[in-house]
Amino acid sequence: MTGIIIETKNLSKVYNGKIKAVSDLNLEIKEGEIYGLAGPNGAGKTTTINMLITRISPSGGTATVGGFDIAKNSLAVRKLIGVVPQDFTADEDLTGRENLVMVSQFYDVPKAKAHETIMALLRLVDLEEAADRLVRTYSGGMRKRLELIIGLVHEPRILFLDEPTLGLDVQTRMQMWNYVKEIQGRLNVTIILTSHYLEEIDELAARVSIIDHGKVLITGTPSELKASLKGDIITLTLVDQKSTDAMKTVPDVIDVADAGTNTVRIKVANADDYLPKIINFISQHGLSTVRLTVQKPSLDEVFLEYTGRSIREEEGGADRMKMAMNMRRVRQ
Amino acid sequence: MSGLWPLTVRELKKWVRNPTFLLTGLIQPVFWIALFGSAFDITKFFTGPGSGAAASFILDGAPNYITYIVGGVLTTMGLFTAMFAGTQIIFDRRLGPMGRFLSSPIRRSSIVFSKIISSVIRILPQVVILVVAAYLIPNGLKFPHGFTIVDVLIMATAIILIAFIFSSIFSVIATRMTNMQSIFGIVNLVNLPLMFVSYALFSRQMMANWLGNVAQYNPVSWSAETIRTVIINGSLTASQWTQIGRWLGALAALAAGLLLLTAYLVEKEIRD
Repeated sequence: MTGIIIETKNLSKVYNGKIKAVSDLNLEIKEGEIYGLAGPNGAGKTTTINMLITRISPSGGTATVGGFDIAKNSLAVRKLIGVVPQDFTADEDLTGRENLVMVSQFYDVPKAKAHETIMALLRLVDLEEAADRLVRTYSGGMRKRLELIIGLVHEPRILFLDEPTLGLDVQTRMQMWNYVKEIQGRLNVTIILTSHYLEEIDELAARVSIIDHGKVLITGTPSELKASLKGDIITLTLVDQKSTDAMKTVPDVIDVADAGTNTVRIKVANADDYLPKIINFISQHGLSTVRLTVQKPSLDEVFLEYTGRSIREEEGGADRMKMAMNMRRVRQ
Repeated sequence: MSGLWPLTVRELKKWVRNPTFLLTGLIQPVFWIALFGSAFDITKFFTGPGSGAAASFILDGAPNYITYIVGGVLTTMGLFTAMFAGTQIIFDRRLGPMGRFLSSPIRRSSIVFSKIISSVIRILPQVVILVVAAYLIPNGLKFPHGFTIVDVLIMATAIILIAFIFSSIFSVIATRMTNMQSIFGIVNLVNLPLMFVSYALFSRQMMANWLGNVAQYNPVSWSAETIRTVIINGSLTASQWTQIGRWLGALAALAAGLLLLTAYLVEKEIRD
């Protein structure tokens, strides 16, 4: 990791003179890292990405991508970047390989070089056998994999991944994560990732910014953000109320609270260090436990802490909207 | 890094691979010449002595109605195919590929010009089929004074210019639309008026005065009359050459103007 490859300074986008999609957004993305952008619907993630990939122009502020100003030198920016948008962009009436070749020609990749890169990319995402089939015969997962490598066919220095696993089953999602990691490792490309799935950002991103109302609320590594919540949760269910009350006297904790019948929720600085103390306390006081669970904070809790709402509520809304849009598309 | 070549190749691949699209496009000219040729043949009502001269007057000297309308049918076929160039732009926007094109370093105008060029190319086999079909049907196309390579070139030029003119207009309209129904609505609104308010199927002698006056400003008339003059007269007189030069010049100027305007508007305006 060397210098800063993407930098925004007070980047803003106002629609129709009043709707502030992004306001005074400041980001610094380092070369070679996977950088996550998380935020609820309408937070400004996609608008930010669309400005950085020069699809839309900013209303205020500045941004540089690979050293080029997005407003003044959009063509140079477009040459540097690869984009994997949320929606499918491959032509269904062409084969996978033909789509890849066409896009490589958009970037003037020499024919022999393109052939070589395309073969390697097809191998990387296990699409070699399907490469000469029409895209319309591909499954959803295959199409996503194709989209991923279409964005890489000209070996960009920076790759924008907008919701790369939206709508995929769990197994295919994890497979996509492996591909993304492999791409980043092998090609040393900087990846900007947006996702509704916080565990995805947690798994892939070196650093993450949580965005809401067009502003960055907090930036850090996923572990820093989780650590900022100060505490793991240990939940204990005991045999009776007497034992439960005794359990509440456990020392050196951040917080103890009731959490249902005969259940206490204990917040501690680090569950790994504290568990032996709890076990000793239980045996010293002769308490009987029914159930014990340990919960380390996930990015979901971080998200809840900083935006005041759960991403799952947002996610439900987004999926419903997406479904309605797809239905509309099918009807037409 | 213009992107024009790969995008045009893409359009042509899609055309060749779609059997319905390909076949209907190739059968259409045969239908048109056979149906229009008999449905609108007004000379069949002329009987008795002098009917030949009257028919020849109505048909600008053509030996029969099919020979008369070949130029018109070729032009309207070019017009109809070109008008649909824009629909592919809307498909690209709705189905996703437009997003890919817009985030690539290609020229925006290449997206539109690839549609225009491919629709011009699609018209050329239709032209050949139509001429052959017209020639083969009974009492069909006749070349009273021969047919040379120069005549072929003049015909092709007229049709290509018509295709450029109307595919530019409809592509620019399509870049501002997201709805397929709207573009179909516009095509349906103007296609028949463009065909009938022109000398494509009927000569000026057969039209009401006002209609004949309006039709002389329709580019469809310029192309139809150019092709007709070449077919009917074979070797042209100096004044016929001048007239053809005027028509083709007007078509070329209009096509060039519209292509420049298209490039300008599309670079500025094309939207997701």
